[in-house]
Amino acid sequence: MAVKIVTDSTSDIPASIAQALGITVVPMTLLFGQESFRDRVDISIEEFYRRLTQEDIAPTTTQPPPGVFTNVCQQILHNGDAVLAIVISSKLSGLYSSIINAFDTITGKEHFYVIDSKLTSLSLGLVVIEAARMAQNGAGLAEISSTVNSLIAKSNTVMAFDTLKYLAKGGRIGKAQCLLGSLLPVKPVLILKDGEITPLTRLRSMTTVSDYLFNQIAGLKKVSALGVGHATTPDTAYALLNRLAVFFPKEQMIHSPISPVLGVYAGPNVLSISYIEE
Amino acid sequence: MKHSHVINGTKFRDMFAAATSWLEKSSSEIDALNVFPVPDGDTGTNMLLTMRSTIEAGYKISEPISVSEVVQAMATGALMGARGNSGVILSQIWSGLAIGLSEKETFNGKELAYALAKASETAYKGVSNPVEGTILTVLKDISSASQKQASKNGGDVLSVLEAAVTAAAESVANTPTILPVLKEAGVVDAGGQGLFTILDGALRFLRGEAELMQFRKPQLVSAVIPLTPIVVTAPTSIGTDEVPYGYCTEFLLKGKDLEPEKIKRKLIRRGQSLIVVGDDTTVRVHVHSIDPGNIIHFATTLGTVHHVSIRNMDEQHQDFLEMQKNRAPASDIEVLAVSSGKGLADVFTSLGVAGIIHGGQSMNPSTKDILDAVEKLYSNQVIILPNNKNIVLTANKVKELTKKKVHVIPTTTIPQGIATLLAFDYEADYETNIKLMTEAMSGVKTVEVTRAIRSTTFSGLKIKKKQAIGLLDDAIVTVADNPQKALCSTLSRAGIKKAEVVTLYYGEDTTEADALVVKESILAKYPSLQLEIVNGGQPHYNYIGSVE
Repeated sequence: MAVKIVTDSTSDIPASIAQALGITVVPMTLLFGQESFRDRVDISIEEFYRRLTQEDIAPTTTQPPPGVFTNVCQQILHNGDAVLAIVISSKLSGLYSSIINAFDTITGKEHFYVIDSKLTSLSLGLVVIEAARMAQNGAGLAEISSTVNSLIAKSNTVMAFDTLKYLAKGGRIGKAQCLLGSLLPVKPVLILKDGEITPLTRLRSMTTVSDYLFNQIAGLKKVSALGVGHATTPDTAYALLNRLAVFFPKEQMIHSPISPVLGVYAGPNVLSISYIEE
Repeated sequence: MKHSHVINGTKFRDMFAAATSWLEKSSSEIDALNVFPVPDGDTGTNMLLTMRSTIEAGYKISEPISVSEVVQAMATGALMGARGNSGVILSQIWSGLAIGLSEKETFNGKELAYALAKASETAYKGVSNPVEGTILTVLKDISSASQKQASKNGGDVLSVLEAAVTAAAESVANTPTILPVLKEAGVVDAGGQGLFTILDGALRFLRGEAELMQFRKPQLVSAVIPLTPIVVTAPTSIGTDEVPYGYCTEFLLKGKDLEPEKIKRKLIRRGQSLIVVGDDTTVRVHVHSIDPGNIIHFATTLGTVHHVSIRNMDEQHQDFLEMQKNRAPASDIEVLAVSSGKGLADVFTSLGVAGIIHGGQSMNPSTKDILDAVEKLYSNQVIILPNNKNIVLTANKVKELTKKKVHVIPTTTIPQGIATLLAFDYEADYETNIKLMTEAMSGVKTVEVTRAIRSTTFSGLKIKKKQAIGLLDDAIVTVADNPQKALCSTLSRAGIKKAEVVTLYYGEDTTEADALVVKESILAKYPSLQLEIVNGGQPHYNYIGSVE
């Protein structure tokens, strides 16, 4: 019985990698008023940021309709494989709870594990990729789950926002509230902690942002996976990626646009690094 | 998405039953927001208990039911069970809804908007002294937004309720800009938040999200302005301003030919936050009074008194302060900054200092002023930014006088203080933060422009009284006929050519127009510079600038 890995679209895994490793990515839902889009499926990243910055209507997000995620998993179970679902932090989305709620309705649930990653964006993506590699090498459900749990504790995403406007609008600002309303233009830097978005510091210019993110990685002992995320500034992300090559083989680094469902909160110009510490 | 064109009685009460469960999930968070009219921290609970009584009454009606029947029953339930200021206002909202929906079997969007207008009208009437920036303002904004939506799209209940909820969120976020006590406490209005949560819950139910609501939690609305409590310790202020809050007194009065308006007039001078609502047989009274006995006595002369509740608000206030301590702070380290000028205080506040100590050049705060500010903070780990070389020593003395851990980062200028504060790391511990912040101090150059107070010669510069002088990191480097010239010359000495970010704080003697002229002339010379002009409002200095 092979293990198949399922995750949600906030994991920011590039489509090519998902395909190569057999990862099923279930799209979250993005809403512009009454218009509904499946994240990364029905709306392109370019189109999304254009609408986010140019239209008056503030987009919102929601988890996939109840049943969509579990149906995907059910299908895999029917085919005789086991399923490991690794999903966005339960503090940021109701997806995990809704899967748990539907758990008893699943046929073959003894081969179905669900993990609340307490992460999102590429820190979730890097963990998922590692899990998919193990699955490809024939590891079992229990073994992969236990590795995933230990990787989660060592994985994180540090995000530098151009503005907190979008996070505040979306109502998910949480502890980053304290960074709001600065009278000087600052770039808030945030990190995931216990599954929540928490403030790290503030920087004065986007130039210092790259340096700061670089130093975050420089401050770690050793990383076993590394990724760079961006919204509307791929060039800045590439430049950072090239600098980070002193710590980690460039060809193994993941470089990916941040999913629109996260972009709703992060806004344009965001730059992020994600890593798994060794 | 389902469109609901009309709502019947059954759906109406189910909708608000779901809204009540929704409110329950965040009632304790709403409690923690409660600072007005009295910071006793019970708004969320009071609104929840009022809603429970409302819903219970609604479910006593047996099917099939009309909207008017159920809303009438719910309004009575609200009046009977109303608790606290916000609860009584909520019961007024229900009574207004009952008026607006009377004789209706079902209702559509337009009728809902009408009922909300009635609710707003009735709520304002019940309060003896309506204050804006509270649940009343939120209700008024809800009413006008829903009427606007109804006139655009008359029949659809969902779109009217959506407009109402959106307006409620915006209005709640705006409450601290209207009511200063909210701004000072760093919160949005609790009652307004509660009302938003109820309507948000109703909307979600109507959208068919009842199941999803079990796994979600209502969001608190974020304020549109920075919300950090300021402890302003003016050097002159001594003594305390503690006024007792007295007793929160509530009861239900039953009788014949009761006249709520008359009762209100009789009680208005006997306490604060008076609310008298009801009809000629049942009246609910809520008042904050030093002498509750007197009020109850008066009531017994009019009829029979029921559900009497008298709570000591000073005790409640203490509990509330405890609760505030438990409100998860972003960090357990707090920073105090010394500054003068409202603009600079706002900048420091917006960047997260826990308190401002008023002081600066030629107005140094005393050790006691600083000590008092330190003691007022919740945290036991305090970092002080003196921002003036004459205050560093005074601040350091505080260390010996308090049990708290205090560290003074020897910032001698405002820009140093701000650069230091920006380096604060929310995840790092006390020692690491001291290190990070101290390092950041040297990352900024400070430019100051002021007027010479007497004629002198300094480092080869001949200075006449009242001439503009420019200082770079506390040392006089230039003298000029006007502040603008002195500023430009000092900025070039500070290495503006290579700088990335320059911020100029203009003082109380400088107009915004002058500052803008300076901005344009600098940008003409250095077009790629990130330059900000901020109204610092500081005395003595025409300009204080940071060059990074």
